[in-house]
Amino acid sequence: MSAMSLIPTGEMTLGPFFPREFAQGANDLAMGTEQGEVIEITGRITQLDGRPLDNLVVEIWQADSQGRFDSGEFFGWGRAATDANGVYRFRTIKPGACEGRAPHINFLLLYSGLMRHLQTVMFFEAAKDPVLDAVPAERRQQLIARREGAAYRFDIRLRGDGETPFFDD
Amino acid sequence: MLSRRDPATQSEGVVQGYAQTAQRWPSQPLVRRPQTKSELTGPAHLARRLGAVRGDLAGHGEKRALGQLIHIRTRVVDEDGAPVPGAVVEVWHCNASGRYKHPNDSDHAPLDPNFYGAARLVAGDSGLVELRTIKPGAYPVPDTAGWWRPPHVHFSVWGRVWLSRLVTQMFFPGEPLNQADVILNAIRDPQARNRCIATLTPTAQGPQDALMYDYQIVVRGRGATPRLEK
Repeated sequence: MSAMSLIPTGEMTLGPFFPREFAQGANDLAMGTEQGEVIEITGRITQLDGRPLDNLVVEIWQADSQGRFDSGEFFGWGRAATDANGVYRFRTIKPGACEGRAPHINFLLLYSGLMRHLQTVMFFEAAKDPVLDAVPAERRQQLIARREGAAYRFDIRLRGDGETPFFDD
Repeated sequence: MLSRRDPATQSEGVVQGYAQTAQRWPSQPLVRRPQTKSELTGPAHLARRLGAVRGDLAGHGEKRALGQLIHIRTRVVDEDGAPVPGAVVEVWHCNASGRYKHPNDSDHAPLDPNFYGAARLVAGDSGLVELRTIKPGAYPVPDTAGWWRPPHVHFSVWGRVWLSRLVTQMFFPGEPLNQADVILNAIRDPQARNRCIATLTPTAQGPQDALMYDYQIVVRGRGATPRLEK
């Protein structure tokens, strides 16, 4: 038995003053990797009244093109902030399937007014996947990106009509 | 597998007195998902990508920031109490008069030319990060009925896996504004709330010219240390 059991620290909002320098410079995951299909992922993030959110921090975590996490050949983690139009952008490689999971990218959102961070997942197509299957059938489409040329579009609605499903772990 | 957190030790999503939470927190219940390799891995060498920036926010001599010199000693541990070596920790806070050096801060309090207010630290083997800085001031929150933020320091921390990510705020002991702060008091359990307040420690050891504060951050995850059977 473990000698100690500590309770994880309570999360609190990022607030409106997250240093811009921290949010910048980490949204190109494809740079320096040889493997995989290079793609762009972009989308717009809006709140209940439809207003796009500026300087919202988006972090992602994904497998490499072979479905391996933290493989050494591909870093797999990135961070971006939305612009004044609520738009974020990542350049990355398309992840492979891994151990029963369909290709996907984990998203984490941090912002003023979000007391805890929000977790969601972007999929490339409707597929058999234990995480996608956990979402009520009528909401699954919200987690599937739309292909637009070389880019995948994944809009995120925090609250309201067409609300993105978010996860609790 | 990571164990689920007791909601009482965390904040509500929509908080009375903090209008933006009702625009931004989802209206639908969060979906419980199985934990797979995808959520239970993370960038093991994040510090190679996000290296240390500015370990000292207070400065020296003519470049010394205004305000009470403090020294915050933060330990990053997991749920077993085991240190998280290599944990990346981002810290930011306002200056002694309550103003952030950030384009979003339109408060009338003055900027301090010698205070920048943001650092990135990387924990050593003991999970410890240390920051020399000045004590932040309190400031009023615009468009609210008299809500003042107590002095606080923002922390953004990475643990061992994707699900260990933690963003929080550290508070100072004995501040009357702590009792009424909407953000601190959104954490329902009083003990969990108290753990967000740093401890003022005697300065017999360490820097003699700064008030020492100890603070512990517990990130999700356990089992990194060998555990005995039974």
